Amino acid sequence: MSKELEHAFVTELENNQNIVHKVCTLYTNDKDAHNDLFQEITIQLWKAYPKFRGDSKFSTWMYRVSLNTAITLYRKSKRKVSTQSYESVIFKIKADEYDETEELQLKLMYKAVKQLGDIDKALVFLYLEDKDYTEISETLGISEVNARVKMNRIKKKLKTILNP
Amino acid sequence: MDELDILKKDWQKKGDELPKLSYNDIYKMIWKKSSSIVKWIFIISILEFVLPNLLFLFPGTREHLLKMYYGNSYGTFFMVISFLQYLVIFYFIFQFYKRYKEISVLDDSKTLMKNIIRTRKTVKYYVIFSLGMLLFIMLAQALTVYFDPNMLVTVYQQELPPNITPDKFKSIMVITFVIVALATTALFALIYFLLYGLLLKKLNKNYFELKKMEI
Repeated sequence: MSKELEHAFVTELENNQNIVHKVCTLYTNDKDAHNDLFQEITIQLWKAYPKFRGDSKFSTWMYRVSLNTAITLYRKSKRKVSTQSYESVIFKIKADEYDETEELQLKLMYKAVKQLGDIDKALVFLYLEDKDYTEISETLGISEVNARVKMNRIKKKLKTILNP
Repeated sequence: MDELDILKKDWQKKGDELPKLSYNDIYKMIWKKSSSIVKWIFIISILEFVLPNLLFLFPGTREHLLKMYYGNSYGTFFMVISFLQYLVIFYFIFQFYKRYKEISVLDDSKTLMKNIIRTRKTVKYYVIFSLGMLLFIMLAQALTVYFDPNMLVTVYQQELPPNITPDKFKSIMVITFVIVALATTALFALIYFLLYGLLLKKLNKNYFELKKMEI
């Protein structure tokens, strides 16, 4: 593949890498696994890049490939070791921006989201990224109605975790 | 406000706390080898297609096997069987390749999983077919040993031990053949199902999860 293609791809990914990091944060529990998944997603993105025609935004296309890699293609199962020692980014909450109850709520919610199954996580992730139900359903291959129903169930689940 | 919307507000601010990789870090990554399950399925499947046929590359084994297969009065029968067997194997390889090519990371999650499972199923049917054939041929060999006196000589070229009658020896041979046939088939089946069971545990679970939503 040509140099220009390499350059275009790496630049686009560098600018949009937050999407991949967020997926890695949700689906892995330690730093090594995070980097490992990031690398696999990068490889999958690069392999698929020649087929990316620019009829959708680069970032839209990244969501699909990243989630597919995390949910389906990534081989190593979540390592259960050293989950305690690794304080993942999402648990770091800037204390001064929230009052104590809200901070605690956030921490509990992040913890709850991390405990969800792979598919539920994908739904929550796309929701948090402000995707509409059309895009969520198209990314996962389920109907829009089912995506909504599922999302409502997850919301209820989170509610019960927060208000036992 | 919805609990999840509080989370959303916080989530969208996470940007600056995430790790940042440089252009060079990413550039280096694109040349690394993938370790996705699709690649593993491909490698294992190729091995499954190739390994059983590798036996024929060793001249000693080849001659012995050929003699066992065709060096008796049922030779034509075994010849036709192996011919048909290769036809079916080529069909499986073609089918596998076609389905493998259909796997695309650009599909939606459900389609991607469905295509991987379909590809794997082709290999599964191939393995079931191969194991069935293996068992069938070994059992047929046992029968020929029983009914064809020449076959016994081919299989066991040394002098018979003095304290054993040819009939008794024949029975022992046949029983051994049957036991070996069953044990080999069972062993291969076990290895195969363990291998794929472990490899596809996560995928099957997630696919089931997606399918469940549609009900």
